[in-house]
Amino acid sequence: MAILPASDAQPVHEHGAHPPQSFSRGASSPAAMIEVEGLTKVYGGSRGVRALDNVSFTVPERSVFGFLGPNGAGKTTTIRILATVLDPTAGTVRIGGHDTRREPMEVKERIGLMPDEVLYYPTLTGLQHLVYYASFYGIRRAEAKKRARELLERMGLGDAEGKKVKAYSHGMRKRLSLAQCLFHDPPVMIMDEPASGLDPLGMRSYRDLIRKLANDGKTIFLSSHLLSEVEQLCERVGIIDHGKIVAVDTIANLSSRMYSGAPVVLHVTATGITDVVLEALANIPGVTGVQATPTGVDVTTQPGTDASSDVSRALVLAGAELRGMTKEQRSLEDLFLALTKGGGA
Amino acid sequence: MKLPAFFRGMPQVALQEFTTNLKSVRLIVMALLSALLVVGGAYGFTALTSSFGGLPPAVAWAHPSYAPNGSHVAVVWVSDPYGAPFSDRPVEFEDENRTPLGTARSDADGFARFDVGTRDYVGVTIRIGTATFGTGVDFFPRPVNFTVYSLQGDYSRHGRPDGLGMSVLDRSGAPATANVSVNGTSVGTTDRFGYIRFDLPVGLSQVTVEVGGESETLPVLVPDTADGTPFSSGPDLVLAVIASLSFLIVSIFAIVLSFDAISKERVQGTMDLLLSRPSSRSGVLLGKFLGAFGAVAIPVTLVNLAGIGVIAAASGKGPTGAFAGAFLGGSLLLIALYVLLQLTLSTLAKTGGSAVLYGVLIWLLFNILYPIVTAVAATVLFSGDPAAYFRFTQASGLGNPTSIASSLVFLSAPPGFQGFGGSSLEPPVVGAAAAVWFVGLLALALWTFQKKAAE
Repeated sequence: MAILPASDAQPVHEHGAHPPQSFSRGASSPAAMIEVEGLTKVYGGSRGVRALDNVSFTVPERSVFGFLGPNGAGKTTTIRILATVLDPTAGTVRIGGHDTRREPMEVKERIGLMPDEVLYYPTLTGLQHLVYYASFYGIRRAEAKKRARELLERMGLGDAEGKKVKAYSHGMRKRLSLAQCLFHDPPVMIMDEPASGLDPLGMRSYRDLIRKLANDGKTIFLSSHLLSEVEQLCERVGIIDHGKIVAVDTIANLSSRMYSGAPVVLHVTATGITDVVLEALANIPGVTGVQATPTGVDVTTQPGTDASSDVSRALVLAGAELRGMTKEQRSLEDLFLALTKGGGA
Repeated sequence: MKLPAFFRGMPQVALQEFTTNLKSVRLIVMALLSALLVVGGAYGFTALTSSFGGLPPAVAWAHPSYAPNGSHVAVVWVSDPYGAPFSDRPVEFEDENRTPLGTARSDADGFARFDVGTRDYVGVTIRIGTATFGTGVDFFPRPVNFTVYSLQGDYSRHGRPDGLGMSVLDRSGAPATANVSVNGTSVGTTDRFGYIRFDLPVGLSQVTVEVGGESETLPVLVPDTADGTPFSSGPDLVLAVIASLSFLIVSIFAIVLSFDAISKERVQGTMDLLLSRPSSRSGVLLGKFLGAFGAVAIPVTLVNLAGIGVIAAASGKGPTGAFAGAFLGGSLLLIALYVLLQLTLSTLAKTGGSAVLYGVLIWLLFNILYPIVTAVAATVLFSGDPAAYFRFTQASGLGNPTSIASSLVFLSAPPGFQGFGGSSLEPPVVGAAAAVWFVGLLALALWTFQKKAAE
């Protein structure tokens, strides 16, 4: 999966404190497949609700891009604009170099949309749905049927191809959503909560499929509440809050930048923690705090300090028995919560 | 071949909408209701016009006869108009002052006889079922030795009184074997009851009855047009009644099938999938229109054709071709206008419930409320000016799709029906109003869908 070099990315900025985010590609960077610039959407006229406010980001081609945000942050609005369903109030969106407003047909030919919740036409079968949607791409009926059967089989819906969709379970409809998104083999896939409601087996298949699609060179724009999924599948994420982009970068870069000025906490598991041991730890250069815990002791050091070997040595010399030590890791969830002031996703 | 962007997606959406509607329960229910109203109504009203069209349910064919002693005997043959006798029925006789003289019962062949002595006139009344039929018998000298009682009416359901039923008895009151000819051409011989029935051409005919070498000629006139009374006008009148009723249910049919054409896509979440396909919004809306229009138009046209067929079969003569054609075309126009109206409202409706509500309101508006409001407005505005009142009520129909379609249909109706549903507006004015309504509603539906489809 191709990702942009860290140097090309904008630094994380405080919510609303910096101008809208944008970045330019370096000479060796892959081309941007999705380019969003100054995107604004106001529902209900000029005095209405501002769902998106000057949103800008790009998604490189052949990448999986995670799009995160709390409920009501503007994720679905962004997705619907990318998919040419909604017109923006201001700003531009280009997909594969085509403007969604000026060349909507070119964009539509290149995208596959997987919306969050679709009930589908209750009286049509899964097969009929795929054949219907295929008809928009000029795929001949016989060919469409053949491909639809293959795809439904691949999605585990082979036995249900002739069943009316009203009899499908939530998970089956989700798989049908994925099938209709893939059917015409688009280079860009826009997915809104693709994994929600899947059982563990379905989840695993879905993860494998996304990885395979990424390996096949597809560009995937993936909005999800499941941060663990995003962490596993996407190296690059965008975080939106209150209609504004608050961060766009790789998870590693975001983490490193977010916490570059934060103290480091070492979680020590040990026995024989006495006042002498605590005093010895507190006297280590760079240590700013020591706190006994039921299983040992937490040692806080200054930002950028790696005091783990000094801590080990001090523990042993002071008579404690060291059993283990871990450095506190910041997850995507921590990042998300920090950037969205509590999240809600 | 790719369609221009404006139409992209139209054929796919139209086919999908059409096939989905065709399989829907509501289409089947509405088609059955339409059939019940139009086809059943066509048959029922044809039967109704027949029973009111000049033929009584029972006839007292009354003749003077003479007993061997010279006494005057009134002979009454009781039958239906088509010559089936009613036996054992009371026949009442009265004098010229309506004083009852007595009652006789019809025999097995339907004949009742009553000796009136030397009276020259006797009144006759029969009561069969709920029907009462009265006539009289004159005993004046006749040049031939037989008597003829005839009844002209629409026996063959042609919409005009071009049939003649005839009872012929000899001087003694027995059924006579009579040869009958019309304008010199034989039309048959009386049966054992002395009865014969035959059709006449339009215009004046000479009907000649010949019995035993004696003959009598009767002039009979069949008018060229319906005689002007409402229920003797035949198939065209039935079609006029059916068209007025049909337009009420056709508008409901169109609303029922299209009220959620857009809103259900939104509720199901399929609208986003549709709009993300290589299709334009105009193409999707036009596809929705064509699909819904086709799904309503096909069953309605079939039902209307069946209704016209039933009128023709039941009355022996179809309605005027131009009138029937206008009825079919007017129904299609009405369907198109209501589907377009409903597509606009369906785009604005956020839920299926509000879409239903809008549908009910729009039907009530144009079929109940609008005529009432315009009538009240005319009364309030032009109470002192009858001419202005009249002109206002004529022009106010242009603001209502149902009235416009109705006006167009009655423009093609035969002359006697113009007052039934027509207007004094010139045909080009009504035609232009229909075109403005269609184009206006199409533009409104396209604009609304463009703006609101995804919101």
